[in-house]
Amino acid sequence: MKNEKGLSRLLEIAGERKGLLLLSGVLATVSAAFFLVPYLAAYNVLAELLKYWKDPRNLEGAILLKWGFYAFLGLLGGLFTLFLSTMASHTAAFRILYGLRVRLAEHVGKLHLGYLTSTSTGAVKKTLEQNVEKIELFIAHQIPDFVNVVATVAILFFIMFSMNFWMALATIGAVILGFLIQSSMMFGTRANTMMKAYYDSLERINASAIQYVRGMSAVKIFGRTVFSFRKFHRDIQEYSDMVTRFTDQFQTGFVLFRTVLVSLLAFVLPVGVLLLSRDPHNVALGLTVIFFLILAPGASAPLYKIMYLSATMRDINEGVSRIDAIFRQPPVKEPENPRKPSRYDVTFEKVSFSYNAPETSTRIAALSEVSFSAPQGAVTALVGPSGSGKSTAANLIPRFWDVDQGAIRIGGVDIRDMATEDLMDTVSFVFQDTFLFYDSLYENIRVGRPEATPEEVYAAAKAAQCHDFISRLPKGYDTPIGQGGVYLSGGEEQRVSVARAILKNAPVLVLDEATAFADPENEHHMQQALKELIRNKTVIVIAHRLHSIREARNIVVLSEGKVAEEGSHEELLRREGLYKKMWEIYSDTAAWSFRKKERVA
Amino acid sequence: MKLITNLTVGHPRKLLKPFLLTVLSNLLNIVPFGLVLRGVYLIFEGLSSPEATLDIRGLWWVCAALGAYMIVIFLGEIPPYRASYRGAYEVAAEGRIHLAEHLRKLPLGFLLGRDPGDLANMMMGDFALLEQGISHIAPQLAGALVAPIIALLGLSFLDWRMALALFMPLPVGVFLLGITAGIMRIKGLRHMRIKIDAANRLQEYLNGIRVVKAYNLVGPRFARLEKAFRDFMKESIRLEAIGGSIILPIIACIRTGLTIMIVTGSYLLLEGTLSPFVFLAFLLVGSRIFDPLTAALINFALLRYFELAGERILALQSEPVMRGNANPPEEGDITFEKVTFHYHSKEEPALRNISLQVPRGSLTALVGPSGSGKSTLLKLIPRFYDPQEGQILLGGKKLAHMEPEGLLRKVSMVFQEVYLFQDTLGNNIRFGKEGASQKEVEEAARKACCHDFIMKLPQGYDTPVGEGGCTLSGGEKQRISIARAFLKNAPIVLLDEATASLDPENELEVQRAIDTLIEGRTVVVVAHRLKTIRRADTIVVLENGEMVEQGTHEELLKRDGRYKDLWNIQQQSAGWSLAS
Repeated sequence: MKNEKGLSRLLEIAGERKGLLLLSGVLATVSAAFFLVPYLAAYNVLAELLKYWKDPRNLEGAILLKWGFYAFLGLLGGLFTLFLSTMASHTAAFRILYGLRVRLAEHVGKLHLGYLTSTSTGAVKKTLEQNVEKIELFIAHQIPDFVNVVATVAILFFIMFSMNFWMALATIGAVILGFLIQSSMMFGTRANTMMKAYYDSLERINASAIQYVRGMSAVKIFGRTVFSFRKFHRDIQEYSDMVTRFTDQFQTGFVLFRTVLVSLLAFVLPVGVLLLSRDPHNVALGLTVIFFLILAPGASAPLYKIMYLSATMRDINEGVSRIDAIFRQPPVKEPENPRKPSRYDVTFEKVSFSYNAPETSTRIAALSEVSFSAPQGAVTALVGPSGSGKSTAANLIPRFWDVDQGAIRIGGVDIRDMATEDLMDTVSFVFQDTFLFYDSLYENIRVGRPEATPEEVYAAAKAAQCHDFISRLPKGYDTPIGQGGVYLSGGEEQRVSVARAILKNAPVLVLDEATAFADPENEHHMQQALKELIRNKTVIVIAHRLHSIREARNIVVLSEGKVAEEGSHEELLRREGLYKKMWEIYSDTAAWSFRKKERVA
Repeated sequence: MKLITNLTVGHPRKLLKPFLLTVLSNLLNIVPFGLVLRGVYLIFEGLSSPEATLDIRGLWWVCAALGAYMIVIFLGEIPPYRASYRGAYEVAAEGRIHLAEHLRKLPLGFLLGRDPGDLANMMMGDFALLEQGISHIAPQLAGALVAPIIALLGLSFLDWRMALALFMPLPVGVFLLGITAGIMRIKGLRHMRIKIDAANRLQEYLNGIRVVKAYNLVGPRFARLEKAFRDFMKESIRLEAIGGSIILPIIACIRTGLTIMIVTGSYLLLEGTLSPFVFLAFLLVGSRIFDPLTAALINFALLRYFELAGERILALQSEPVMRGNANPPEEGDITFEKVTFHYHSKEEPALRNISLQVPRGSLTALVGPSGSGKSTLLKLIPRFYDPQEGQILLGGKKLAHMEPEGLLRKVSMVFQEVYLFQDTLGNNIRFGKEGASQKEVEEAARKACCHDFIMKLPQGYDTPVGEGGCTLSGGEKQRISIARAFLKNAPIVLLDEATASLDPENELEVQRAIDTLIEGRTVVVVAHRLKTIRRADTIVVLENGEMVEQGTHEELLKRDGRYKDLWNIQQQSAGWSLAS
């Protein structure tokens, strides 16, 4: 069966064995058997009744009571085993979910940092949130249902066939007929084109809704909401017409299916009558016919429960394949014999790199044969126009991605030969996108070095210019971040992340000159903080404002993924090349101000 | 009732028709039951004693009637099918349209503060859940509840004592269900809390994964996440166990009816006050009647889940919309009169008692530390939000009375975030003015310094932009938004100086474009770098939501106040350079 694939893959991902599910199945079967006891009781009471039909006062009350009691016992036994069965299947389900979540999170922790940008973690989150909810519903409820239904139906038919072959055949035949009608409607070629049209239409309206909502603020600003609304309105209407047609299409099939299942007795009774007409005095046969009349309607009820299974199965397969796509991302390769550097200069040796996911951006900032070296304990700046590859080069140092060709070395050791933990201990990086945990400010700084003493944490906060604003908070360092605590401004967040880096005190620092949030005061504080941070470190800075790196030991000018020039500020200015041109533009923009010409009256 | 209101997003009457039709089709199903009863009776009569003969002919008639009646059932099922599916899609389509209409009237500030993915999911996903809830589950539930009621009524006509015996435990079960609902709710809430905790931990882990990895914290952070997941798993299992041990005894209780009925029936039969035929009928019904009831209990839980979707939608629809329908004046001064504004009623005001005059055609700059309220002030002008106290006037007329979109047509905004539609670049610029000619578009693009880079693209103005416009650089997107502003040609321009992260050459182009754009218009700009606004007509200094100073650059420097401090700090920063 096709759905085995999705489910067994799910079990495989979650590392869950089938034991619990099997146990659940066995218990469900036992439970189903118990639940048949009341029917058996009803049958036996009927048999008793038949004996004394003409004169019920001669009935043996004790036998009737006995069967009434058995019906009750069967019910209790059935419910109890059902409880055990659902507990087993639910436990299995929740364990699968747990395994799924944990393994996915574990895997994500091993991926390249480059993969873990905000967009892709967003996608991972979405996958987990949207698909896991559906998977949860499926394994926690539908699997148990499914197990129960199969068990009930199996037992039911086993008993039926052991009672009377022909009537059992009539029952099962009718059920199969019902499902054939249903599936011929659902799976014929016409149904397939219908299905495709339906999914296309669904996709269209989904896209339309996203565009409508996402663009709403922009549309509003240009006063075009009516236009945009009309378009969306039309799409909704079209979709609605589509699904209405869709349900019309399935009407006959579905209603016929229901009719057949509701009228199972219309199939069973004639067979019974036929058998009776040949042997009109056979009391046992008569009772068998009555037994079928009691039991047969029960054959369809459980099947309703799993009617929508195929639709959910499609969702589950889709969900599993999305989750699999994350698992397919290769983790960072760890070296077999990790080495540790003893010096901390950084060298790029003919580094070539290209992004292997071209669909994410039409402009692939790639590097080709980039070589330069950043001396230990000095500042090296990477500059260049946007798209020149300066950010890419910096991102390769903490192994956001691995180089295609060439090598990056720290103290002569290829970073790919370093254990990830050692590399991370060696390199700090401070980027514009900062992240604070939902935790106290103290804990957020201590992240830099978990074994640090409180004094060291405070010292780092002071050095990063955080101490003052933290002290002003009502609970000081114990103030939690986020809900129920404080939301820091962009600049403050940046300084907290600098405090972390100061505490970590790694010998190599990769820095994105981060000034996006800077209002004057923040910028001033940030500069003070950075000054502390870069002391005695090998610093590689991605520079946007040339002014701030004019004292760097070495400035590497990148252009279209290649090193165009290299040298100190003065050397580069003398050279009259790209850097000189950038410096001139930079000086122009720095002097600019909003200004209005005199209004022409 | 609340459940039905939520499920139908406020149109409970939509469910009436499918419900009634389902009840009707259930009533139709009584007839075959009677036929079967007749068949059983015939068999009993024919086999009860050796001398009796089986009425085979009669039995064949029963069969024929059963077969023929299938047509009736078939026809009877069609109306509820159509009603429930059409009803469901109608509710969803109308609801979506209603929500879309509502969304477009909400304040811009609200829209910008919400995750658009969330809203889109509400529009599609939540309504899809409702469709399913209304079309599948609700009718099934109705049928499941109605069938036993019909049976109860029918059976009490046959023999009320037996009916009483059969259904006696039912009220007890319902009563038990009622008193245990409280326990389940508390446990459910606890479960929900742990679930949210796990979701938060996951979000933190994923969002912070770069920091987590950079600081070698995958181990400990992961341990925390793992614990949250483990707790969630345990709690889920516990909830299931508690739920099961409550609901199963209740089901057991309700189903005891069959046993009680058999016992009662036996006594009555022995007493001679019950005909065996009635007993027979009760036995046949009694063994079947509890299946739909049990199914209803389970469906009910599922329905609660769908209901949440409706609740979310209703909550969004109760957000107040923007009012006002007056036409805004062509041009005029912008006046703030004692304006106080807060984002949430419980929070400190973001702006306090602001009075400010922005003369027509002037350049006004707003400065101050982050969180001072300068961006908020800017956003009040195009009515992203309405202030709680005081008023804002344009050309002497109250903004609050103006038609929101009409007002927006008078205002161009160049902000940090630029949204590009999934359309060609040309059409994205054309958004500034409906029906603008290609010449006009190119003219605007030239003025905004985007013509050159657009022409370098393979398809020029016909180049499509991706979702959210992710294929252009920040500076390029900004210039596109300036080009839109040129086409729009609105008398008021609002700028958020956001050039800090641009590369020099991009910045130069943006600056040139802005120079042309602001000419001859009323301009309000939020500035971060004081140098850029030193020639503004008025500089307004804000701090903690209050206006602390106002004047020209020279005046403010002379005053030796807050502005002077800021200026000095910035002069220092400007000379700074990274060196060790």
